[in-house]
Amino acid sequence: MPDDLNQQQPAQQNSPPGQGNAAAAPPVSRELKQSGLNLWINRFGVYVVAILFILVGIILFGGSFFNSKNFLNILDAVTLLGMAAVGVAFVTYSGHFADLSIPTTMALSGYIAIELIPLGMFMSIFTGLLVGVGVGLVNAFAVGKLRANPIIWTLAMAYVTKGVVRWVWLNKQIYPDIKAGIGNEHLADAFINLYRIRIFGSISITVIILIALVIAAQFLLKRTKFGQQLKVTGSSYDVARLSGIKASRVVGTAFLISSLTAALTGIFITSLGKVGAYYNGEGYDFNAVTAVVIGGMTLNGGRGDIIGVLGGVFVIGLMRNIMTLMGIDTFSQTVVQGIVFITVVYINARSLRKLGRDDA
Amino acid sequence: MSEAEQLGKAIEMKDVSKQFPGTIAVDTVSFDVQAGEVHALVGENGAGKSTLMKMLAGSFNDYTGQIFIGGQQVKLHSPSIAKDEGIEMIYQELTQALPISIAENLLVGRLPRKKGFLDKKRMVEESKQLLERVGLGDLDPLLEIEEISQHQAQLVEIAKALGNAPSILVMDEPTSALSRDEVALLFGIIHKLRDEGLAIIYISHHLPEVFEVADRVTVMRDGKRIDTRKVSDVTTSELVEMMVGRKMEEMFSKRVRTPGKEKLRVENLSRYGFFHNVSFSAHEGEVLGIGGLAGAGRTELARAITGVDAIDEGEIFLDGKQIRIKNMTEALEKDVGYLTEDRKLFGLALRLTVGENILSALIPRLVKNFVFSSKRGAGKMKSLINELNIYPPDPGRTMSNLSGGNQQKVLLAKWLAIEPNVLFLDEPTRGVDVGAKVTIHKAIEKLADQGNAVIVVSSDLPELVGISDRIVMMRKGHMIGEIPGGEATEETVLLAANGEGRYVNAG
Repeated sequence: MPDDLNQQQPAQQNSPPGQGNAAAAPPVSRELKQSGLNLWINRFGVYVVAILFILVGIILFGGSFFNSKNFLNILDAVTLLGMAAVGVAFVTYSGHFADLSIPTTMALSGYIAIELIPLGMFMSIFTGLLVGVGVGLVNAFAVGKLRANPIIWTLAMAYVTKGVVRWVWLNKQIYPDIKAGIGNEHLADAFINLYRIRIFGSISITVIILIALVIAAQFLLKRTKFGQQLKVTGSSYDVARLSGIKASRVVGTAFLISSLTAALTGIFITSLGKVGAYYNGEGYDFNAVTAVVIGGMTLNGGRGDIIGVLGGVFVIGLMRNIMTLMGIDTFSQTVVQGIVFITVVYINARSLRKLGRDDA
Repeated sequence: MSEAEQLGKAIEMKDVSKQFPGTIAVDTVSFDVQAGEVHALVGENGAGKSTLMKMLAGSFNDYTGQIFIGGQQVKLHSPSIAKDEGIEMIYQELTQALPISIAENLLVGRLPRKKGFLDKKRMVEESKQLLERVGLGDLDPLLEIEEISQHQAQLVEIAKALGNAPSILVMDEPTSALSRDEVALLFGIIHKLRDEGLAIIYISHHLPEVFEVADRVTVMRDGKRIDTRKVSDVTTSELVEMMVGRKMEEMFSKRVRTPGKEKLRVENLSRYGFFHNVSFSAHEGEVLGIGGLAGAGRTELARAITGVDAIDEGEIFLDGKQIRIKNMTEALEKDVGYLTEDRKLFGLALRLTVGENILSALIPRLVKNFVFSSKRGAGKMKSLINELNIYPPDPGRTMSNLSGGNQQKVLLAKWLAIEPNVLFLDEPTRGVDVGAKVTIHKAIEKLADQGNAVIVVSSDLPELVGISDRIVMMRKGHMIGEIPGGEATEETVLLAANGEGRYVNAG
């Protein structure tokens, strides 16, 4: 792109003061403008893709796609994924790829929440979230402190948690109304209605929570000490450690956040399905990472933000919705989503290498 | 060059260019090497040497210009194409402290087989032949790479390259980790290979080496080729002039500094297996040098004091008060810093920007009421970029797009940003060009002049002698003596590093 040549750039003093002569003239001709477009695409590209999907939807299906009811459908379908993805984003940003233990964390938190319905809504939700804290602390210690491989460790964690669930509840599903017991029907109803609360008559409580989570997480990532240190850690663990950052604690916190949002999501999934089941949350591990990566967080860590991840979640929602309207079955959708994931990772790696950012 | 021309150009690059976002790393360069010639490529960091050679290695598929090998035009768009064309690279950073045998490493990808199984006898034989070519005929090919010395590993790397029967061999700073005797050995081998008809490209910062080993020399600066000369027709000072674009000047200003009161004192410090019973003190307004050979325990000492590694025994006093630093976070809280010798692995987050790196040790101080703002550090960042002449002077630039010298300046800026009272600098100018060196030395002196204790670990003797007010010497994990600044010369330091001379303590 020779038109990017910026010959008029004023000479920058590139030699130690007092030694500049004609021959030491700074390399003006090497100065190029950093392409703003590239950076812009890096940042907001995912929303452009989302808009493209919407256009495709309108072209293919017109009114049956572009109406408020369908959009509410899309939104409902992705809010739960969004919540989980926000948490996983911290793990990816920390340079530890993904948290594969979130599906079973979701299932376990759902079981626990239902078990504690007799003690009231607060205890039910609170204890459900405690499951997230518990799993998160174990992951934090193993990956943050002991430097276990995050993929292998969280995979093992998922396996163990699943085993615990099947062993304790003997592979049975549990139901809020039965667990609440006679006389406590109102508590069971409260739990089941948790997911169905609508604010201002139409906006689902999960949408409100997702928006709150996104704002809080974006703030945490970009405007706090933790977020900044997570960025350095995600870019290089050793560099972070030698920059006075308690890298193991920072990484551990990322895993804790991931488990906590997973537990929260798990409670809502359980409320939505009115059942505590070991398969609750299945598929959320890969879906969440896909959303995170489509949203512009590279698997290398240290790059991207939560607003982008939200965009990634929308794109997945739109993609699925359009495929459903096209009559593509769920299994084929999974294949398509897998291919999209691979493509995005490939394009990411490729464009970063082109930009000279590849330091692997 | 008529007699050389008869041998033919092994490789010729015609008007090649390569752009990165923000820079033209190589700008219409023409360069050729004859068969049976050692052609040195010199230039400051960021001059474009490495990019030019990466082009040869097939790292880019978007360079412009033409490349001819043996008269045939080729497109070196991938590493495998470059290998097929007979180009072999030997890099500055060795990537092979591996638990695999020399033979396996030498013959990787083409291990001899018999009926589908490994033919061990032939593997050993073939390895021996290759090792003989680099003067390692006596080495057992079944030894593991991690068991041999760095010098031997380097030669093994050359043997490995020779195994692919190359016509062009590129060596990037092959002597940076070698002793003088080993360098002489290596040069003997290079000359032997040259006489066998290989075209050798030799990249170096070390000009005396260039005169010793090369037939011709090409100087690059700012991505352009400045000139190509016969080594016999050029002098060191001419080369330096071409490289830096200005006359050589006095690099070290010997100044008189009067150190103040004691800032840091270390007593009987040990980290078992690395250093033992080390005692020394550093004063306010003093540059204290720590001299010694590689492996003397200097880096380990600096890392242990600053909390990166654990201490087994001994005491540390800061301002007369005993302290214990458990990690870098605590070191920073006490305004103690440590600039690592390995900027790529431990120093800089290469994926982040210049600005993010400069502020990376400063994050906790840029937080007010739980809110972080990089704006609080922007002024400091700007003044450091100016003071250290970091180029390009753009905090938003991705770190990995900067040249080595400028990366090193950013690393220094990161530690100056915390305004340290005690700063350990481990090889502060390793592998940087003359210009960056002067800038870094000025900054180090300024830091000491402001009344801080600066402790410099350096294997660069002129640097250590030039910048230190006092030098303590380490050898094999022990503090063996001290040389007052006025009496330190390269010779006294080198003698002491080898455990000789009058500055070594008796016993």
